[in-house]
Amino acid sequence: MRYVHLYFTCIKRSMISRLEYKKDTIVALFSFFFSNLCSLAAIYFILQAIPALSGYSLPEVGFFYGFSMLPISLDHLFSDEFWLVAYRRVKDGDMDMHFLRPVPVMFQVFAETFQPEGFGELILGVALITVCALNLTVNVTFGAIVVLCVGAVFGAIIITSLKVAMSALAFIFKRSGPLLQVIYNFSSYAKYPLAIYPGLIRALLIFVLPFGLFISLPVDTLLYGKYNPWLLSLAIIGCAAVFFALATWIWTICERRYESTGS
Amino acid sequence: MIEVNDLTKVFRKPIRGNGLSGMVKTLFSRKYDEVRAVDGISFSVPDGEIVGYIGANGAGKSTTIKMMCGILTPTSGTVLIDGVEPYRKRRQVAQHIGVVFGQKTQLWWDIPLIESFKVLKEIYQVSDADYRERMDFLGEVLDITRFLSQPVRTLSLGERMRADLAASMLHNPRILFLDEPTIGMDVLVKEKIRLAIRALNKTYGTSVVLTTHDMTDIENLCSRIILLEKGSILYDGPLKSLKTRFGNIKTLTLTVPADIHAETAPVLSPEVAVSEEDGRLLLRFDADKIALEQVVQYAFRDLRAMDMKIAEISIGDVVKTILEQQEAEHAEKV
Repeated sequence: MRYVHLYFTCIKRSMISRLEYKKDTIVALFSFFFSNLCSLAAIYFILQAIPALSGYSLPEVGFFYGFSMLPISLDHLFSDEFWLVAYRRVKDGDMDMHFLRPVPVMFQVFAETFQPEGFGELILGVALITVCALNLTVNVTFGAIVVLCVGAVFGAIIITSLKVAMSALAFIFKRSGPLLQVIYNFSSYAKYPLAIYPGLIRALLIFVLPFGLFISLPVDTLLYGKYNPWLLSLAIIGCAAVFFALATWIWTICERRYESTGS
Repeated sequence: MIEVNDLTKVFRKPIRGNGLSGMVKTLFSRKYDEVRAVDGISFSVPDGEIVGYIGANGAGKSTTIKMMCGILTPTSGTVLIDGVEPYRKRRQVAQHIGVVFGQKTQLWWDIPLIESFKVLKEIYQVSDADYRERMDFLGEVLDITRFLSQPVRTLSLGERMRADLAASMLHNPRILFLDEPTIGMDVLVKEKIRLAIRALNKTYGTSVVLTTHDMTDIENLCSRIILLEKGSILYDGPLKSLKTRFGNIKTLTLTVPADIHAETAPVLSPEVAVSEEDGRLLLRFDADKIALEQVVQYAFRDLRAMDMKIAEISIGDVVKTILEQQEAEHAEKV
């Protein structure tokens, strides 16, 4: 309970930082709408160019794309600071302040930034899947809705865990941004139906970097009833729990290796 | 209470070549250089004491401080803060210590100062009553009330340092680690900071470990100093005994007629070293070996001094002498 309260205090602080510079805020708001408009346009052009992908229709591909934006945007909302840790903050010895406070370092990194840009992607994703779903004739079951929600929320936890684990390596290597980038980029594979990929990549996307597990498989379940929604939900939740536990463990181990910089 | 026992920190650095080709070679080399930043030091600081932790750049001061506040894990040896090892129970210890690094701010850069304090209040779980009391006290001794609503980014260096000090004292820590708190400050700000440290020490009985290159800080604040060189302790004890380590050294600065020079001046005793600086004569001697009175007489009678200033050796001179001796010994060994 204390941490929930503390989290909101810190987030408020992050928002104040955001609003401190008037002109910057106006520019940020403007570019926020503009960049979302651009990504919407980009999606539209991509979908138009590929009317059918391996037998998938335009609304189907659109649905995959839109759904993939949900966990990614949720992760974006809450864990943007880890990018800075991986690329810059450890290298610059800029983590000292967190080590001096009686709160877990990982918690402080989460609480350091709240990225409202994520909302734009979230809204865009929801809009896209709604529009595409209206153009599809699918038998929407309760189970399918549940597995989609689980996929979005616990998928976000899995992405965040990967981010935490990769950025923790910066404590050892000083800079782990490029590594984090490589892992993160795998999420773009999951924007399309898994069926278009060769078996090896498919296996990789389900069992190793499970973007496919929480993006493609739930959509397959909704559109074609391929999997049992309850078992799949359970698998995703279990996977998220394991990933988060592992990430926390890796972070704790690596944290002790922090060396700061000379002063 | 701080107890440091045989504390050692070794940094392993790959041996690097120079330039781009050297850096590329480094990638494939497995050779490492070991730097013993802190080498088996032990000391303890009782509650309520202000200790000056001094030494040249790179002597290992900051490294020790970082181990004492839980940022760095020692290679071997232990630190106990009230019986707890800070790098193992970091959170528990953090609640009871305050830290200021003069070179880095721990405040959020682009929000008003008061907002930073509000967040810190939550982080350290300071009660409303304590918070008000502390803010009144700090507002007064550090004179920060005036710029509380300004973003930290816009503060001057002196203001920022006072703000950082206030932030580190908000939760009433039992121990305060100050790593060069007066670096780059003007005389007035330095004085303000010293007064605040003393007031805090007196009001709350806070122990303070202070590193600085400003010997005035040391003479004003510390009853005890620890002198560190190349990761080892050279001296640990009262300020007074360090001052008399080379005897009761005094320096007389004389204004003399133009025809009196250091080389040609009549000699009183080999105990008195005569030198010349900016047209003035300097007499340096140990007042325990030759009486001050005798030297003063000599100055007026033999050197026809027109004006005179008597100075005790400064702590800075002592430290300088010790460090120079160390360096000379080291050079001989190599």
